[in-house]
Amino acid sequence: MSNTSEDLLFDLTLTDDQRMNRETMQRFSAAEIRDQAAQADKSSVTPAGFYQKTLDLGLTLMPIPEALGGAGVERSPVSNALNAEDLAHGDLSMALGAISPLAFVNTLLDQGSEAQKEKFLPRFCTEEFLAASTALIEPRATFEPTELSTKASRNERGFELNGCKSMVPLGMDAELLLVIAELDETGPAAFIVEGTPEGMTRSAESNMGLRTAQLATLTFDGVQLSAEALLGDRNFDLQRFIDLSRIGLCALAVGTCQAVLDYVKVYCNERIAFGEPITNRQSVAFMIADIAIELEAMRLMTWRAASLAEQGLDFHQQAYLAKVFCAEQAMKIGTDGVQLLGGHGFCCEHPVELWYRNLRAIALLDGTASV
Amino acid sequence: MKVLVTVKRVVDYNVKVRAKADGSDVDLNNVKMAINPFCEIAVEEAVRLKEAGTATEVVVVSVGAKQCQEQIRTALALGADRGIHVETEGAVEPLVVAKLLKGVVEKEEPRLVILGKQSIDGDNNQTGQMLGALTNMPQGTFASEVAIDGDKVNVTREVDAGMQTISLNLPAIVTSDLRLNEPRYASLPNIMKAKKKPLDVFSPADLGVEVTSHITQLSVAPPAERQAGIIVESVEQLVDKLKNEAKVIS
Repeated sequence: MSNTSEDLLFDLTLTDDQRMNRETMQRFSAAEIRDQAAQADKSSVTPAGFYQKTLDLGLTLMPIPEALGGAGVERSPVSNALNAEDLAHGDLSMALGAISPLAFVNTLLDQGSEAQKEKFLPRFCTEEFLAASTALIEPRATFEPTELSTKASRNERGFELNGCKSMVPLGMDAELLLVIAELDETGPAAFIVEGTPEGMTRSAESNMGLRTAQLATLTFDGVQLSAEALLGDRNFDLQRFIDLSRIGLCALAVGTCQAVLDYVKVYCNERIAFGEPITNRQSVAFMIADIAIELEAMRLMTWRAASLAEQGLDFHQQAYLAKVFCAEQAMKIGTDGVQLLGGHGFCCEHPVELWYRNLRAIALLDGTASV
Repeated sequence: MKVLVTVKRVVDYNVKVRAKADGSDVDLNNVKMAINPFCEIAVEEAVRLKEAGTATEVVVVSVGAKQCQEQIRTALALGADRGIHVETEGAVEPLVVAKLLKGVVEKEEPRLVILGKQSIDGDNNQTGQMLGALTNMPQGTFASEVAIDGDKVNVTREVDAGMQTISLNLPAIVTSDLRLNEPRYASLPNIMKAKKKPLDVFSPADLGVEVTSHITQLSVAPPAERQAGIIVESVEQLVDKLKNEAKVIS
């Protein structure tokens, strides 16, 4: 896809790199994610070695400067969105876990200070997978990301953090966390939390879907952070952080909805009722056609927002529109996927019920998948 | 030790191919293409030899149209050091490919050549053996294990009777079987780095080979559709049918 502002044409042709990346991601997704997803969901445990394998793919390594041990490839929201889409074609939950460290790294690159980049980024460039994540959502009614109840206050040693965050991917294991909180009266700020400092507790969540993403609730009760924990030298741009993660969430939704479409197409063509494939019935055919149309619209909106972000242009509105549309359609496509399989849709033998459960989370996950 | 490894651009193994309406060939319009899986195993083996310090350089070669460079680049992303593309037009038969590869072998003088045992499009299983004959190098085909031992390479082969291990003098030719290794995924950083690796393009004339054809493809037709099965009532009936209808037992 065009990613320079000189390209005036609306060009959706992928670059050679993007095509090759997709090939790798799609193969990985089919072999290492899709085949394991159902069992992983049932046990709520990610298959052993899965995150190490995502490390070998170099997903997190890409945007980290070479001087710090990374691949030094300019950060590309478009490529990141494509990667998220392909991973989520295998399983939304495992995909979310796989890209969580990238969300941390991207935000650090985007808004961190040079000293923070030098301190933390090399830790992602070792042979060992480093669990890292971002924490924005709070467990309360009418949660609004711009009105945070998690508070940070300055003191002589640094900061004191109080509050609660929920739906944090990899929340049980993350060694590095970016916690978004209201700083005194100055507005939102992000804090790098290492390990589990005194006063912080982690508890695993039990949710309808996303069972392998290790979603956790984190509580901070008088947690003391050093002055260096505050992300960046300037004010934290919360809106940009949210917008970039909306693109990631949309891409995840697109990937899983594509999986639904691919599955129901085959199933409904092979499923014989009344002596013919059920796709001969218009009520079935129209439903599948609608999924295809909605999905294409989701993808185009996502790519457009990602492309604007990549060009350094304003993408707030596009990211928001894409998120609203993708969240709604993801739920609809998830439901339709189950419906199209009839009684079989209810059985766990088919993956549509898993996709249905996972897709409902797209609407909730702000701030988790920064591209 | 320099290792030469070959890759062929073929239809992706996940694609369900169809014959063209006129039956002249397989329909390749808008079909996903990829490295032949056996070639990918060959690349992986070469890269592992390099990682183990046995090989010093891995050169990857492909014969075919310009688009083959995609597969060469994938092999470079998997860890090969440099690429050679022998650009040809239209279909080339195994003997021509073997002659072109012989030209590359003479130019590069590798100690070891690793090929896939066959490609999943033509399923000919000829190129490696023909290259062996043309270059007069010893060959170890259908390798499930390759071990370099000084001036020799020990190749364990999967044959009908079981496993056979042969010792070949280097330089030698090895063709890979399915169980030789499990190829890695090309990592995203390596895909970027592959762009910077050198890729030379030769024409058949550069290698002194004339592209000729001895084979004419008459027709391509899909396999006959499987007849619906039946459920038998009893073991006796099954045996009776196997004996008298299918005539597979007596």
